[in-house]
Amino acid sequence: MGTIRLRSLQPYLLSAPALLVIGLLFLVPSIYNVILAFQNLTPYQSPGDAESVGFENFSDLWSSGELPNAAFNTVFWLTAMSVVLRLLAGLGLALALQSPILRRWKLRGLSRTLILIPWMVPQVVAIAAWRWILDGNSGVLNQALNALGIIDGAIPFLAQTSTVWWSIIAIIVWRELPFVVMVLVAGLQSIPSEQYEAASVDGAGRWTSLRSVTLPNLRPVLTIVVLVTVIQTFNNFVYVWLTTGGGPGNYTAVLATELYSAAFFDNELGTGAAIGLLMTVIMAIFAVLYLRVTATKEDA
Amino acid sequence: MRRRTVLAAGLLAAPMAGCAGRGNEGDRVFRQFDPANQVGGLAETIESWNAEHPDYRISMETLSPNNPQQFAREANAGSGPDIAQLAFTDVSFMAEPRILTPLDDLMASSPAEGGDDLLATDMTTYDGSMWAVPWTADTMALVYRPDVLEQAGISETPQDWEELAEVAAKITQDAGGEVSGFVFPAGAQFSSAQWFPINYYLWAHDSQLIRADGETWSVGVSEQQLADTMEYFTSFFTEGITPVSMQATTDYGDPSIIGSLDDGTCAMTFMPPAAFRTARESVGAELMTAPMPGGLEDGATHLGGRALGINANCEEPEAAWEFVKFLMSPETFENYPQYPASATTLDQIDVDPSEQGYIDQLPHAESFARYADAPITIASLQALVNQQFSAVYSGQSEPPDAARKIISTITTGLEE
Repeated sequence: MGTIRLRSLQPYLLSAPALLVIGLLFLVPSIYNVILAFQNLTPYQSPGDAESVGFENFSDLWSSGELPNAAFNTVFWLTAMSVVLRLLAGLGLALALQSPILRRWKLRGLSRTLILIPWMVPQVVAIAAWRWILDGNSGVLNQALNALGIIDGAIPFLAQTSTVWWSIIAIIVWRELPFVVMVLVAGLQSIPSEQYEAASVDGAGRWTSLRSVTLPNLRPVLTIVVLVTVIQTFNNFVYVWLTTGGGPGNYTAVLATELYSAAFFDNELGTGAAIGLLMTVIMAIFAVLYLRVTATKEDA
Repeated sequence: MRRRTVLAAGLLAAPMAGCAGRGNEGDRVFRQFDPANQVGGLAETIESWNAEHPDYRISMETLSPNNPQQFAREANAGSGPDIAQLAFTDVSFMAEPRILTPLDDLMASSPAEGGDDLLATDMTTYDGSMWAVPWTADTMALVYRPDVLEQAGISETPQDWEELAEVAAKITQDAGGEVSGFVFPAGAQFSSAQWFPINYYLWAHDSQLIRADGETWSVGVSEQQLADTMEYFTSFFTEGITPVSMQATTDYGDPSIIGSLDDGTCAMTFMPPAAFRTARESVGAELMTAPMPGGLEDGATHLGGRALGINANCEEPEAAWEFVKFLMSPETFENYPQYPASATTLDQIDVDPSEQGYIDQLPHAESFARYADAPITIASLQALVNQQFSAVYSGQSEPPDAARKIISTITTGLEE
């Protein structure tokens, strides 16, 4: 009898450490963030001194007028544009890395190692280096463009509205592309070569093979890549903060920088938590919609 | 405060609460935030203290950059360093939740040398008590290449902001646009150093962003004054005096500024003392300082600096105060290359002739007390001003619109 009872408890006992860690590291902070979003607290006060303010933090966000610009920048520029470019460039590079030529020349290992280099560079270092590269006065990019005769003068890439978002996106794509490439390469390797051979026998060219064999087989991998990169980018703070701080003006302000400013410059932790909650809700909606759409397609 | 043993349960608590005792076992912790490469002299001074006070040894902890909120989190959790270096502007935030020890009794029972004529005590006094003691003082000075000014036939640095614009324009024109007459970091970031000259310009023209009126606060600048200030600084870019790339630069010590000082394409900029000393070492030409435009008018430039506070959790405040007094003494400043925040001690130290600009200006500088303790934080004001000026430089806003935005945001902040 005792043995049966112990056996029935076994799954709970085995999963308890994992649940405890998830609870402490994820659930407790998340729940506290929700509570904080309805409170007034400064970073200098003890949490016990917090004052309950109802929905005031949310209504302040709505009335401040800063939120729509930051939300648009987050969704369109920071996330959508950079993810689409990463996917397109990543797919192209992954296909190139899988090409028979690289295998024939025994360059596959070397090229895969080289492609990982940007990912090995810490984000802060990468951004600092790119800030120097893009410097409008002494940056190497300006010097190169001048030397090639493409421009005459200097382009302040991070100081003018026409170039600043593209500059930030270039940094993100450069630094984060290796992750996309490596996952897609793994996906490409899992496609059975027989499918390409069958397609070839049926007269399919390269484009048809890509459309009818490669992309359908990559769909599960692409789903994961899109989900991971969207969530990672949507919540990202450092790329914008360290390159422009949201400027020029507030042209590149995103939700994460607004959150940081509210919490640590305006000393309103509750407002920061409210923005964090808003970001979580947006991401949750995205994740549910995306998973449902892809699940529906796969079922069909 | 003795370092507390972290038990098994602390494995979970430590990342949240933090633990100050990173020094040797039994040491009391003094935390400071100046970069590690600037505090060699201070470390030597503390070693000499430790040699003479084996019963109250100090371990210096460097936590750079300044992070007062980290200190607050630790202090609220009953931990944190015993003695902490604090920016003047952070003291009231620490005083309000009572995470510092009030110093009035300690100062009265055991006065510090030079403690009678401290600068900026208005920044360290809160609710009628002294919560930290001013320790070092600094301000911005005009940093220039005398040879570049000489080439343009200029023998004296500009005395006011209007003259600065004229002199800087002449230098640039004479050099056919190859030399920038005046370079300043004009980034939109909260920390952008343009905040200082913008305020100096306003103060020299009899206005300021906010003004205390007894217990209440009001906007201290008109839309027209703000718009004029924006047009003034924008003119440096539109007239080609300052490179447009400076609109993405935030720091006075940015490599692009040091590089242009080095190659002689920058005639004038501004820096605080520590940054100036670093620049002087990096630039292969003579660099000098002079008062900022209007810097010899009382209250036209800011008095910044560091204060020393004692953690409310400190178990031996009297002994900690003795260490604070030691840090304030002339002996410390023999090794520590900062200006003391005591007028008496300031008179006793030797200063390199190239730093005379700071010495001339410091007695006229006034702290940011004019903005402190307002319902809107100085950091928020800084972020707002830098952002809106940047919006004008980049063509996103016209000066009147940006000025209106600043005033309306300040008004809302003050109402809250």
